[in-house]
Amino acid sequence: MSNQRKRNFQIEAFKQRVVVDPKYADKTWKILEHAIHEIYNHNASGLSFEELYRNAYNMVLHKFGEKLYTGLVTTMTFHLKEICKSIEEAQGGAFLELLNRKWNDHNKALQMIRDILMYMDRTYVPSLKKTHVHELGLHLWRDSVLHSSKVQTRLLDTLLDLVHKERTGEVIDRVLMRNVIKMFMDLGESVYQEDFEKPFLEASAEFYKVESQGFIESCDCGDYLKKAEKPLTEEVERVAHYLDAKSEAKITSVVEREMIANHVQRLVHMENSGLVNMLLNDKYEDMGRMYSLFRRVSNGLVTVRDVMTLHLREMGKQLVTDPEKSKDPVEFVQRLLDERDKYDKIINLAFSNDKTFQNALNSSFEYFLNLNTRSPEFISLFVDDKLRKGLKGVGEEDVDLILDKVMMLFRYLQEKDVFEKYYKQHLAKRLLSGKTVSDDAERNLIVKLKTECGYQFTSKLEGMFTDMKTSHDTLLGFYNSHPELSEGPTLVVQVLTTGSWPTQPTVQCNLPAEVSVLCEKFRSYYLGTHTGRRLSWQTNMGTADIKAVFGKSQRHELNVSTFQMCVLMLFNNSDRLSYKEIEQATEIPASDLKRCLQSMACVKGKNVLRKEPMSKDIGEEDSFIVNDRFTSKFYKVKIGTVVAQKETEPEKQETRQRVEEDRKPQIEAAIVRIMKSRRVLDHNNIIAEVIKQLQSRFLANPTEIKKRIESLIERDFLERDSTDRKLYRYLA
Amino acid sequence: MRRSSTKKKSAESVATDLFRSASSKASTKEMDRIDQLFNQYANRSSNLIDPEGIEKLCSNLDVSHTDIRILMLAWKMKAEKQGYFTNEEWRRALKALRADTLNKLKKALPELEKEVRRPTNFADFYAYAFNYCLTEEKQKSIDIETICQLLEIVMGSTFRAQVDYFVEYLKIQNDYKVINMDQWMGLYRFCNEISFPDMGNYNPELAWPLILDNFVEWIAEKRA
Repeated sequence: MSNQRKRNFQIEAFKQRVVVDPKYADKTWKILEHAIHEIYNHNASGLSFEELYRNAYNMVLHKFGEKLYTGLVTTMTFHLKEICKSIEEAQGGAFLELLNRKWNDHNKALQMIRDILMYMDRTYVPSLKKTHVHELGLHLWRDSVLHSSKVQTRLLDTLLDLVHKERTGEVIDRVLMRNVIKMFMDLGESVYQEDFEKPFLEASAEFYKVESQGFIESCDCGDYLKKAEKPLTEEVERVAHYLDAKSEAKITSVVEREMIANHVQRLVHMENSGLVNMLLNDKYEDMGRMYSLFRRVSNGLVTVRDVMTLHLREMGKQLVTDPEKSKDPVEFVQRLLDERDKYDKIINLAFSNDKTFQNALNSSFEYFLNLNTRSPEFISLFVDDKLRKGLKGVGEEDVDLILDKVMMLFRYLQEKDVFEKYYKQHLAKRLLSGKTVSDDAERNLIVKLKTECGYQFTSKLEGMFTDMKTSHDTLLGFYNSHPELSEGPTLVVQVLTTGSWPTQPTVQCNLPAEVSVLCEKFRSYYLGTHTGRRLSWQTNMGTADIKAVFGKSQRHELNVSTFQMCVLMLFNNSDRLSYKEIEQATEIPASDLKRCLQSMACVKGKNVLRKEPMSKDIGEEDSFIVNDRFTSKFYKVKIGTVVAQKETEPEKQETRQRVEEDRKPQIEAAIVRIMKSRRVLDHNNIIAEVIKQLQSRFLANPTEIKKRIESLIERDFLERDSTDRKLYRYLA
Repeated sequence: MRRSSTKKKSAESVATDLFRSASSKASTKEMDRIDQLFNQYANRSSNLIDPEGIEKLCSNLDVSHTDIRILMLAWKMKAEKQGYFTNEEWRRALKALRADTLNKLKKALPELEKEVRRPTNFADFYAYAFNYCLTEEKQKSIDIETICQLLEIVMGSTFRAQVDYFVEYLKIQNDYKVINMDQWMGLYRFCNEISFPDMGNYNPELAWPLILDNFVEWIAEKRA
């Protein structure tokens, strides 16, 4: 189609507007204005919704939206200012009520007005980006009423005062509170926060600051904690009743800060009632309360844990370094176990089994247990005592429990190899004297040690058990093949494999004829079945049962050591013997002989011999005769068993030296192992690696490691790098 | 084409030949004199200069037989056995020093000392001194007393204080009865690197031989 054509079809706009009464807008507005007045005066019933709506609609349609809107603002503001005045004039308690009522009225009015002006709200307002009617109504309320200088402060003060009253025990109108505070919330989050919440939190902080100060001056720790719990629940309840839910976290943290966080140090360290006192007196409830309260604040639990750790370490240190307590090793260990049980229970019941507290407990024990260098020895002695008699009659499960507790202490030891040495010695004595209460318990512990430390740790110990069994079988074989020996003294032999048992010096002595004949027969029997082996009799370790007659008719069976047997048998052929004669005949070393004679002549109840002259010590000029007047209640009399004793100083030195010597090859082996795989490594790293590799047995000393490195350099296992002096190189 | 080039020599090559024959004659002559000198001190039957011979040599050279310069001479010779010089070793040193008479040898000593004291040579000389004292087969360490003497000879003039302190320490300590090469070299590094007597830059965490750690500790204790 041609353009010209189009022009012809152009529709022209009306040249004439619909005739609108110039006063139309004013007239319509007047109607609406009047309606608003009526609404605010509670006279809305007489109004026609339909008519008002149409009027508003027409105004907007005829482009008088602006007039309508501004009119609305003006009118509403006018009313609100009136309302504000009336609220200001309210007295006392009526203030809040009136405010609340007027607010409700305003909301109702606003609703109606908005319904009437809905068309404007939906068309004019968005297109000109004005505030919607409802929101406008809220803003106007906020600006005209709430933020009016007289109302604002008075309102806040009234509210805070009511809260304070409630906190001090008075009952307040919670419904009113809720409604008024909801007003804030309805006006917008920032209004709520700025106009109410912030001042509320500040006032609360002040309140609790004063409260807590008062409590802490007058209460002890336990009471304070009880008092501190209450506000927490109270405030949560308050929030639920009349505050915005979002305030809960904030007010809670205010309470936590004022009641707890600010006083953590003072509470924990409170004299006579603080944490240490609670620990000592097992105050589970108080400690539980402390834990749950302090958990809420940062560094609360850290403080508790640190104080507990410090206390533990101090107490532990005193325990282990007190010479009085070290006198009885069994007591020593038992005390440690008891302490551990106590703290375990505390952590369980009061500190909800918190792992960090468990760790603190473990590290403290590890710290002070190793302060006493005799701890490994004492723990072994404790086990020895239990396995000899302590576990008698104890059920299997309880045995397991006790052994597990011992293992716990064992894990804390840094010098596990020292423990191993003592354990071996004590086990040897137990096995050889047949003094074990329960074979199962022994094996149980070996299994636990194996799980903890590996096969190497326990292989020798297991070897000891094997030897015992094998010896038993060998002995049976011996007697079966020598039926003629069933008459005469009975020999019981234990054949010990040298590597497995603790090294003992072999002591020779002259055995009585009857015995040595038997021993020789056994030796040839054994060597007959095991060629290439060598047997040496350990006369310092055996025992003998001898039947003796004292006087005419006192019969007893004496259980004595081998040495003692040798001495006593001499008296079958002589009535009186001098020290020198005994020494010559038996060839027992002097110190052993003196001890042996002393145990038979100078100990009450065991004096099977009489010594002349009578004195406590054995002199080389003494003579001995059988004590015909020996009596004892029991038929069987035990003289001088070999019990595991706490070592004397020189013995301790010797053991320690042997341990040190044993460590040297272990360190060297570790160094060689590490260097073989790394080829080149610097000094500090070698030290660190070696310590790590050996830590399951003992804590390696860096100086000792350095010495071993130098020794290996000398023996051409390692060399220093020619350019970088910190490096070592492995020499294949 | 020159066929008989070999027959006709250039003046230059003639001169070279003359020089060569003269120098070779001279060098043979020199070697003879060196050998002669050797025989003055050597033991007839063993054909070695033995300790007695060395003493005689020292007195002729006007140096004490504990003087470091004799040790330096041994080093120059690369002498293997302490107290003995072989003919080959003798030749080696004196040829290098260009000394075929006693006088020349005497005059060469200061030069030799300078040469040895050069840092590159001294470390080698220091190690050599240790090995020189290992008299037994398979011996790897030297007893304390000999070490003290050796230290005095080798380092006494340059590190007077360190030597005195260290010798005193060696005599009173009980950990070590002998010193090995590793410790010996460690001491050399110590003297060269660590400021004395404050030892501010000594770090025991590094791989210094343990004996030096103990030495440093001992000095610190003495001063406290």
